[in-house]
Amino acid sequence: MLFNSWEFIILFTITSILYFNASYKLGVLLLLISSYAFYMYWRWDFAVIMLVVTLINYFSGIRIAKSKQHKVRQLWLFFALITSLLPLLYFKYANFFVANLNEILTVAGSIDTFSYFNLILPVGISFFTFQALSYTLDVYFGKTKVEKNIVRFGTFVAFFPQLVAGPIERSSNLLAQFKKKNVFNKSYFLEGSKLFIWGLFKKVVIADRLAIYVDGIYENPEIHSGPTLIVATLFFAFQIYCDFSGYSDMAIGTARILGFKLMQNFNLPYFASSISDFWKRWHISLSSWFGDYVYRPLGGSRVNYLKWLRNILIVFLVSGFWHGANWTFIIWGLLHAFFYFFESWGNLILEKLHLAKIKDTLVYRIFKIVSVFIAVCYAWIYFRSNSLSDAFLISNKLFSNWDAPFFFGSSTVSFVLSSFLILVLIIFQISQYYKFSSLYFSKPKSGWQLQFIWYLFLIFGISLFGLSSNSFIYFQF
Amino acid sequence: MHQKSFILKLTAFVLVFFLLDFFISLFLLNGLNKYYGLGEKTDIALVGHSHLMLGIDKESIENETGVKVAKYTREGVNVIDRKIMIKQLLTSNTDIKTLIYGVDAWTFSSEGLSSNSYKLFYPFLEDSAIDDYIYNNSTTSEYLTKKIIRTTRYDELLFSSSIRGYLHKWTNLKFGTIDLEKLKSNIANNQYRKIENSKYNIKIFKETLTLLKKKNIKVILLYVPTIDLLSNVLDLKYDMTINLIDKIALEYDNVEFLNLQEPWSHNHKIFYDPIHLNPKGQVTITKELNKYLKSHGYY
Repeated sequence: MLFNSWEFIILFTITSILYFNASYKLGVLLLLISSYAFYMYWRWDFAVIMLVVTLINYFSGIRIAKSKQHKVRQLWLFFALITSLLPLLYFKYANFFVANLNEILTVAGSIDTFSYFNLILPVGISFFTFQALSYTLDVYFGKTKVEKNIVRFGTFVAFFPQLVAGPIERSSNLLAQFKKKNVFNKSYFLEGSKLFIWGLFKKVVIADRLAIYVDGIYENPEIHSGPTLIVATLFFAFQIYCDFSGYSDMAIGTARILGFKLMQNFNLPYFASSISDFWKRWHISLSSWFGDYVYRPLGGSRVNYLKWLRNILIVFLVSGFWHGANWTFIIWGLLHAFFYFFESWGNLILEKLHLAKIKDTLVYRIFKIVSVFIAVCYAWIYFRSNSLSDAFLISNKLFSNWDAPFFFGSSTVSFVLSSFLILVLIIFQISQYYKFSSLYFSKPKSGWQLQFIWYLFLIFGISLFGLSSNSFIYFQF
Repeated sequence: MHQKSFILKLTAFVLVFFLLDFFISLFLLNGLNKYYGLGEKTDIALVGHSHLMLGIDKESIENETGVKVAKYTREGVNVIDRKIMIKQLLTSNTDIKTLIYGVDAWTFSSEGLSSNSYKLFYPFLEDSAIDDYIYNNSTTSEYLTKKIIRTTRYDELLFSSSIRGYLHKWTNLKFGTIDLEKLKSNIANNQYRKIENSKYNIKIFKETLTLLKKKNIKVILLYVPTIDLLSNVLDLKYDMTINLIDKIALEYDNVEFLNLQEPWSHNHKIFYDPIHLNPKGQVTITKELNKYLKSHGYY
């Protein structure tokens, strides 16, 4: 079920009315039922996977908490990790392994190859698996208390606003919120609705429109000129941002209306002044997940230099692999790791040359923001390309064939509108950066009159120029 | 925040929204009617898809003939859509004497044109015939959305057309000429639209012509040139379709077939892409159409 559908509006309205009027216990049960209904609307059978992952982590959590023996605790954690990740590995990565195995066999001269599995990736499997695992890991590390109420825990794993594309919540934040009864709050309703509208605008007006142009170019990169490929890549940078952050905003907004506060998932990522800063602003729930459960357990930065390099490399490699079973995602992750290293080496050189002071200047800051944006855009080429060969072709063609005609897509009007919308987005984000407009749930400096006009503009933007695509990019992860 | 004030503000917001929705859509519809020439006293009407839209300059015909022209052309419309468009025109423009119907080698092929072209008619949902057509083709939620929130009936192309209607701008903006190498490569890779004539489409086309005959309206089936490289590769099916259009035209005494393929399909400089003309092509072909209208005593 999509947020931008009547089916969702009906489900959400009924759930909200019943939830606010139900007793505490019934309310949580209702959220659980609605969450499964939300998921099963697409494919009922895949809900079984979510249920199994929920049960595994529920019982493992109890066992880990009960046991005082380190070995037993470790065993239960290991069991939870393996069994929870198995469906994810099978559905998402089985064909990737077969493809690579076949490649190796072909190179080795074998005529026999393995046949592919006929698989459909369950929507949001990476998200609910990681959310459930974060709980078990937190119980193991003693960061959270064990949850003995299965309904509450099931709701935590399946909570419909953030079920299929995040934010990936931690038990310390979300599970704790299910322990109290929420009542209807007008301020939350307004905050949630505003965020939902902004998210919907980003998704159906900006992202889906940019997608038409980007898809057209990236499907046949060989026939397009350098400038066309550059513009398509820039458009993709805004498309994926609006698509994913739009979904997150709608998820956070929906949850807010129900009285829950989900974590902020994006914080003006294209204003990042370093790669590490970018990852503190982009898909915050995932990068902090990798930070807490991969990077720090490996030793984080409190190890020798070589091990630190290894840790960074592993985190970005895993992050790339999490995004998809394709070498393009792995290269994308590795590129970010290398950008991270270059940045760190650049900082070291500045310090050695006693030039660290320039870091505080406005010019250097602007230079960093622009250079980080360019680097991130370059990496998006690998993220978006259909294959590695396409990505290499695009990288090579970026600065060639400049005399060829620029391709405006099937409609010049749509191209102009797309460019205008990016401009609107940038202006609005600048106003958010300077706290003139609301970001997440911050109080804006602007008056209610301006806000009234702004939200009317957004609603009419959605109404007039909203497109209806069938999915969000991040659903595939 | 007090409950009463909250409900009041919310109600005010909803009211303002629906009021604006009504007036914005009214403004856009008025501009669209101007752009397509709907609801005006017009002697000539042009009906077709983007091929005819970019191929003919209605202002030039108006200047040459001295009569008003409605150019009701929409992207991707098939013969079924065109029948609806003509019905709509006959209701709104009662003075039509001549209807120029855009035809091409793919007129009877459904493949390649929008299967959801009913969406093009959303702005005219108040018209009962259009309402029925959309109701029968769209999903309930889609239909209800368009009925309740009027601005959802528009998109950027309709928005742009509406503004162009107010500005009286009908110019062809597809500047540039066709990339022949790309076309040749597409043809070599079998990437071009095939002709798949369907009996159903032929039936609908004939029904449309019969309807126009009953209304005593002269019809010109106009073939705005498509590039020769394409017709060469389509070969036999292309010739068959042209012969079919010719044969159908002969069945009706109010219908004539004006095929402008020769010699212009060989002049590659007038094409924006294989089937669409650039502004230079539009001038050339409209001149030919004007000559035809005059020489055949239309005006």
